[in-house]
Order: sequence, then structure tokens, then C-alpha cells
Amino acid sequence: MNNPKEDSQLSNLGIRTHQIVKAGLPRRRAAETRFKAYGLICIVAGLGFLVLLFGNIISHAWSAIEQTYVALDVTFDESLLDPEGKHDSAVLAAADYPALLKKSMSALFPEVKDRQQKRSLNGILSKGASYELQRILVKDPSLLGKTERVWLPVDDDVDMLVKSQIDRSVDEGDRRLKDYQIAWIDKLMADGRLEKRFNRQFFTSGDSREPELAGIQGALMGSLFTLMVTAFLSLPIGIASAIYLEEFAPRNRWTDIIEVNINNLAAVPSIVFGLLGLAVFINFFGLPRSSPLVGGLVLTLMTLPVIIIAGRSALKSVPPSIREAALGIGASQMQTVFHHVLPLAMPGILTGAIIGMARALGESAPLLMIGMVAFIVDVPTGLMEPSTVLPVQIYLWADSSERGFVERTSAAILVLLAFLITMNGLAVYLRKRYERRW
Amino acid sequence: MRHPVNIPTPASFSREHIQTVGDMFVENARIQCRNVDVFYGEKHAIQDVSLDIGRNEVIALIGPSGCGKSTFLRCLNRMNDTIPGCRISGEIKLDGLDIYANGLDVVPLRAQVGMVFQKPNPFPKSIFENVAYGPRIHGLAANKLELEEIVEKSLRRAGLWDEVKEYLHHPGTGLSGGQQQRLCIARTIAVSPEVILMDEPCSALDPIATAKIEQLIDDLREHYTIAIVTHSMQQAARVSQRTAYFHLGKVIEVGDTALIFTNPRHQLTEDYITGRFG
Repeated sequence: MNNPKEDSQLSNLGIRTHQIVKAGLPRRRAAETRFKAYGLICIVAGLGFLVLLFGNIISHAWSAIEQTYVALDVTFDESLLDPEGKHDSAVLAAADYPALLKKSMSALFPEVKDRQQKRSLNGILSKGASYELQRILVKDPSLLGKTERVWLPVDDDVDMLVKSQIDRSVDEGDRRLKDYQIAWIDKLMADGRLEKRFNRQFFTSGDSREPELAGIQGALMGSLFTLMVTAFLSLPIGIASAIYLEEFAPRNRWTDIIEVNINNLAAVPSIVFGLLGLAVFINFFGLPRSSPLVGGLVLTLMTLPVIIIAGRSALKSVPPSIREAALGIGASQMQTVFHHVLPLAMPGILTGAIIGMARALGESAPLLMIGMVAFIVDVPTGLMEPSTVLPVQIYLWADSSERGFVERTSAAILVLLAFLITMNGLAVYLRKRYERRW
Repeated sequence: MRHPVNIPTPASFSREHIQTVGDMFVENARIQCRNVDVFYGEKHAIQDVSLDIGRNEVIALIGPSGCGKSTFLRCLNRMNDTIPGCRISGEIKLDGLDIYANGLDVVPLRAQVGMVFQKPNPFPKSIFENVAYGPRIHGLAANKLELEEIVEKSLRRAGLWDEVKEYLHHPGTGLSGGQQQRLCIARTIAVSPEVILMDEPCSALDPIATAKIEQLIDDLREHYTIAIVTHSMQQAARVSQRTAYFHLGKVIEVGDTALIFTNPRHQLTEDYITGRFG
């Protein structure tokens, strides 16, 4: 060591190393900067697409918040509604309300005499307007014989015109509304009889062929029931399977086969699960088709592998030292797992469950196979009733030709996203609570 | 302790002699191991080990890395059961009872034979919960008061009480490395085991924490039988009464610590303690 020659050789080597490192430094720094730039570009692009997507959906959907209503002075004519004077609710419910509407409309536009024109005049009102009238009268029978100003929904074409989504400059022949109809609407508007109001219908009713009457609640409840079934089945089964396979099962050929199969099932296209559900749950077990129960069962099958795989990897990532510590003071296998391993793995397991459930919520293909694609007007109130789900409803509306469904499709997408965010928010909240216990 | 022979004499067994030399057996042993073999799959990790561990003694297991001392230690409370592909043959008796007998429950065994690991591994819970966990699962405390007593006693014995008594409900993972290891020791003795196995308990600690733990081991000897694996020969010399030297899965020499370090009988032992390898 004290040899001066050796010392100087060493320090020469040191200087050489320093020079080489220094020469290579700009290249290394450049690579780092480049990589950061790539990352930034990717994130900006991703955010850009997200903004574009949301901007598009929201710009289409915002007009669906409101629906045009027309103010009509309706005379609840006793001679028309209740000619025998029974004042019975059954009679009132079955009365001829469209006739009332026709009378009110011709009172507004007495100059319209032509049969054809009269029909299109009445077409300004929604087909659901007479039901609205019936609802009002049944609620308040004292209106009988009086004249009352009521707000009634208009037809979707009129609604579209009011929301300026029908172009007036287009040739009359290519337009949904004729010039004389537009003139009537303009007159109504000038009289202050047309007004855009909050679209309550959209949030409180089921599907309809008429856009102005169609609502999301049926699909929302269907999704809710389906998801409930999925959550109640797939979470306990999935988490229990993950725990058993990871912590208790012996490592042998059978568990290997099971593991390979679970991994394969996670990659099976979802429509195959739909076919399975059709064959097993509907055809073999005879469960009612289109019901949230069957939908939930099918989505459970689809979600289970995801939850099991995520759960196992979360359990695997718990440090073995914690297991050893618990076993070392005489905790049984079960106590070790439930007191120490599971609480540490829970956030990861919940993340897997969220991903699985979110996928189940957005799934439509397997539900087509079990009949949840049907046109269902009633809002389901139970697991066995026919229903549809949000993504399928979006698909159905997107497929409809009426102009009024465009904005409602976008609004339905927003409802689906809101549902998803609520669900994820709940799960994140639960996860945070679990983490805070440590 | 026997009278140490202070004048070193040349080792009388050559390197080729791979039978155990020295006093493997003691009278009234707490743990008796006879012809223990351990396999990890195809690997023969421990070969034909016979060794007694006496009452209220500290036995140090020393030897180069990979010689099987940790594996042997983990046989004593069947922690090797958790390793897939691990097979054990031979006989290990705790107070005359075969711990590998068919149908023996490992839960009471591990309550009797506690273990402290190389890396401090407190549970991610409060200090109190860490110590109270063992007594709680075994039902050692009838009520909360008794449990608190056990926790305090264990922490006092582990020499940690004065440092943590104000912070019993703070997380155990927030302590320093040495404190964490003493917390783990407190957690182990809270179950009142008969034997404590320590697998290099000081390898992750600084000299001051090490000294504290060595002092603790010396105090614990009064109540417990302790087997400690260590890489530090000074530590083995300081804390143990008997020492077993492991080499390539075999016990080469067992004897009084003082004798082993001053007058090893086997050439391999002498090579190791004089720093020729290991």
C-alpha cells in the first residue's frame, strides 16, 4: 500500500474513471429527460382524450336535463269525463282524456279545421300528456268541472325544435316538422306557453318508445339489483376462495389445476358467461329470464376469477415475517390469517373487488344472452322482475332513430358514470377506514 | 461450568473427521434431539444431528452461513412445517415428549417454545397489542387487568417498559430497531414459554442495542432455556454456557463455551473460531 508507484497508478485509474463517467453523463441525463418527456406526453394525451370524451358526452347530455312543457287551459269537462255523475275514481281513471286535450288545442288554434292538420296539431303534445292529465285529476278530483292551466310535456320533435336541435333552414320535405307546425310552435312560444322545465320524467320512469317519456330509473334499478346480487355472491365466495387457495390449500397437482383454470376463466370473453348463464340458470334451473337474479349470477361467474386473482396476489404480498411472528407465538393458522394477514391484505383485496364490480357494472354482452336486452317499461321492484341494466339501456337508446334519444343516451352515460363513481367512492372510503385502523 | 483449560492445545481431530465430538448430551435435558435429518426437497440441509439442550442454559449455535443452524433451530418449534418441501426425520423430544409425534398440535408446542427472529417483526399494531396478542389468543389472562399486568411484566423483563410505558398505544413499528427486537422478545415471553429460540436476534442491531439484548438474554436464563443462533463468536462467548459448532449440516463440536473458544478439539472448529473461514 505504501508503494508510491502503486499509489499513483491507483489515483491515475481513479482520474480515468472520473473522466469516463463524466463523458457519459450528458448521454445519461438526456435519456432521463427524454423518458420524462415521453411520460408527460402520454399523460397529456390521456388527459386530452378524457376531456374530449367527457366534453362530448356532457355537451350532448346537458340539454336532456330539461324538457319542454306546454301550458294548456284544460277544462275538466264533467259531461265528457263523467257523463253519469258517479264521481268514482275508476270512472275517472278510464275517462277519455285525449278528447279534453283535443278540445283545449283547438281552443288555442281555432283556425285549424283540416283533419290532417288537426291531427298534427294534437301531435304537438306528447302521447303521454293524456296520462299526465289523468294523474292530475285522480290526485285532485275536485278539479272536475273547472278550468285549470296545466303544464304538459310536448312531443320530442317539438322539444328538439325548442332546444334548436332541428335546423329550420333545412328544406321542409327533409324536416321532421312542417312549416305550419313550426308556425304554431312559434305562436305558442310567443304566448309564453312553452317553457323548458327540469326533466323529472327522465329520472323517475322506465323506458319508452317516446323519448320525452323515456326514463333511466328502470335501468338504474335493474343495475342496482343486479349489482347487489353480484356483490353478495362474488365478494364472500371470491375472498374466501382466495384465502383458502393462498393460505390453507396444500400445494399439489389439484391446486395447480384449479389455479390454471381460474387464470383462464379471467380471460374468457364475457359473452361466453352469458351463454353459460342461459344454458344453466334459465334453461336448466328455470329461473325467470331478463331478471336481475340471473344477471347477477352471470356477472358473479364473470367477476369471481378477477376477485380471486387480485385477492391472492394481495395475500401473497403480505410479508412472511408477519406470518412467522404470529405462528411463532402459537397462533393457529386461522388466527394468523384472520388477525394479521387479512387486515394487511384487505386494501388490496378491496381494490380487486372494486375493479371486478366496476367491470360487472359496465358489462352488457353477457346480459344480452339472458334477455336483459328486452324493452321493459316498468321500473323493477324485485330480483325476479324483468329488467334491463344501464349499459344495455344505453345501447338500446343509441340504436333508436328518434332525435330525442341522442341527448338521453348521453345523459344515461353520465348516470352510469355517476353510479360507477359513487360505487368506487364508497369502496375507497371503506378501504381508507380499514387502513386507518393500524 | 467445567474448569476451562487455559493453555491451548492443538486440536486432536482432523478436518476429515466429521463425527460430532464433545459433550452432546446433558443430564436432565429439556430438549433432546437424536439423529435429526432435514431435507429441503433434494437438498440434505441437516445430517444426523444429535444434541441436547439443558435447562436454564443458553446454548449458542455457531457456524458459517448455510451450515444449517437456523434450520435446526426452526425444527425445535416446527416452524419448518410452513416451508413447502421440507422433510424432517429423527427424533426431537421436549421434556420427553416427541414433538414430531403424529397428531401433535403445533399450537401448544409453539406456546411452549417461543421464537425471536432475525429481523424484528412486530405486528403493525400498538405496542400493547403486540405483547397482549399471545396471552389473548391462548386465554392466559382472565380479565383486562390481568392482561395489563402480563404486558407490563413482559415489557419490564424485556427491559423496554421504561422506554415505552408512556406510548403503549403507539404503533410498535414506530420504535427503533433495537426497541422493536426487544418488543418481539417481550411478545415471546408474554406467553411464558419454556424455551426461547433466537435466530440471530442482533444481526440487524447496533452495538448498544446488541449489548442490551445480550444483557437481557443473560437475565432471561434464570427462567428460560434459550437457544441462540449467532454469527458473532464474541456474542456466543458472552451469552452462552454451551456452544455447538455446525458445519455443512453437521454438528462438529459441542461443549462448554469456554472450552470451545479456548481449546477446540476439532480442527474445523479451530479453523472457524480463529477466522480461517466463515
